[in-house]
Amino acid sequence: MAMPKQSRGALLFLLTVILLIALGPWIAPYPATEFHSRHILEGPGTTYLLGTDEFGRDVLSRILWGARPTLLLALASAGLGVLLGTPTGLIAGYFGGRLDEILMRVMDVLMSFPALILAMLIVVMMGPNPVNVVLAIGVVFWPRSARLVRSVSQDLARREFIEAAKARGEAHVFILGRELLPNVLSILVVDFTLRVAAAILLTASLSYLGVGVVPPTPAWGLMVRDGQQFLQNAPWLVLFPCLAIALVSVGTVLVGDYLRRRVAVPGGERIA
Amino acid sequence: MSLSRLILRRVALLALVLVAVSLLTFAIVNILPGDVATAILGESATPADLAALRSRMGLDLPLGTRYLTWIGHMLRGDFGTSLAFNLPVAPILLWRLGNSAILAALVLIISVPCALTLGVVAAVYEGSLLDRFLSLAAVFTFALPEFVIGLVLILVFSILYPVLPGSSLMEPGLNPLSQPLALVLPILVLVLHQLAHLSQITRASMINALGSNYVRAARLKGLPPALVVVKHALRNALAPAIAEVGMNFGYVLGGLVVVETLFSYAGVGQLMVMSVENRDVPTLEATVLVIAVAYGVGNLLADIVSLRLNPRLRS
Repeated sequence: MAMPKQSRGALLFLLTVILLIALGPWIAPYPATEFHSRHILEGPGTTYLLGTDEFGRDVLSRILWGARPTLLLALASAGLGVLLGTPTGLIAGYFGGRLDEILMRVMDVLMSFPALILAMLIVVMMGPNPVNVVLAIGVVFWPRSARLVRSVSQDLARREFIEAAKARGEAHVFILGRELLPNVLSILVVDFTLRVAAAILLTASLSYLGVGVVPPTPAWGLMVRDGQQFLQNAPWLVLFPCLAIALVSVGTVLVGDYLRRRVAVPGGERIA
Repeated sequence: MSLSRLILRRVALLALVLVAVSLLTFAIVNILPGDVATAILGESATPADLAALRSRMGLDLPLGTRYLTWIGHMLRGDFGTSLAFNLPVAPILLWRLGNSAILAALVLIISVPCALTLGVVAAVYEGSLLDRFLSLAAVFTFALPEFVIGLVLILVFSILYPVLPGSSLMEPGLNPLSQPLALVLPILVLVLHQLAHLSQITRASMINALGSNYVRAARLKGLPPALVVVKHALRNALAPAIAEVGMNFGYVLGGLVVVETLFSYAGVGQLMVMSVENRDVPTLEATVLVIAVAYGVGNLLADIVSLRLNPRLRS
């Protein structure tokens, strides 16, 4: 079966990213934290393809190792956001009334901080480690996912098949899980993809600001932060991790955009 | 409902939201797992040091009392004492708030008219080369973190071709407008980040408006095309675009944190990052609250402009 060009592109991109996460450490020519003290701040060449940093660590190896702390964090935090937002949105949209009002006002309060600021505050106060980064970004995404799911489930809750399920005397839990949830799944996939794109930006910005993962973790944002002082003489320390962030992030946005056009998500608000 | 009553309602709502925001800020700092005294002194602090700091900062008092004291002081303009500088936070924060406001205002003044113009042109010439270029640019600027755009600009304009300063460092107390060249790159990063996205929103609502019946009617009446575009279509397309400016205000503020840190620009965003690095909890708490208030007020202003532009929203 012939696939449209865009679908093939999206699939190819996703495969590359999965391979990068799965095999990165194996294809990397050196360990991420191995010092080569005779090859400090060496430019890109044949032994060290993308050059070395101030400790003589291989930049290419660090980028390959860094795919996990960068991308797995983004995937996990986007997942947590959708996982929190989906039940909240389903319940608010399905039950309506006072419960909907209360849930949505709580979501409003979470929305009244700029995303990066709230994430930063939570990570700083809970302590800098990967789990807290995932928790913080998950909380930031929670209201944004909940609003989207609510708008869809509100509309679905008025349809006949839900009325029918109620008339059959089904339990609310059954209706929410077996009738509503399957109908929002395609939207959740799109939401998740766009959320991942936003999470890559947020995690990268957090590590760039020195909040979140700590050295010597080769997270891409952290590599940029550490390399910045050598911008004048060793720009490769900054350029290559930036390029890695750019490629993955632009790719994810394109895949998300493509999915959104296929599924027609209501609102289509900006989520970064 | 009359416009002034609607505005009053929004202002009252904002007051409620701000109370909730202050409670949440306080809760994150004081109630989440993770102890303030440990956050300040580090994991290696002795129990005696921790206890001393707790009693000095009043951390041993009941939570309710501490919240009321804190918010009471904030309302009276006493933002506490910075642990890093051993100075009152208020004057430092206010000077930096002004600096950030200058940066944000310049970004909006430049990006909004440019984005509207580009969006209108892209909508009128839908499918043209410019239109397609703008959509592509929107994806890129949307997907790239500010520090990536910023570092590339620094590399090009202050290292390869050294025409602009790559740092906006300045003497405390100085007005940032006194060194305009140092403002160019930070503004450029934030404008690029806004421009493409905002122009896409304008384009979408313009295309909607251009396809509507009243625009067709205006055309059939034989009105000049330019007049139809500006007077009939743009007026209606403006409201969603302005609403988007308000929604985007949060990203501008988030972006300020990154850009100010990147360019060492003395604004609230950099103060937030510095207070994180210095484990200066009182400054952090005050800074976050001030940023959240600015965010709320910015959204309110965008709301009011939308209400004025679009009478249909008033029902």
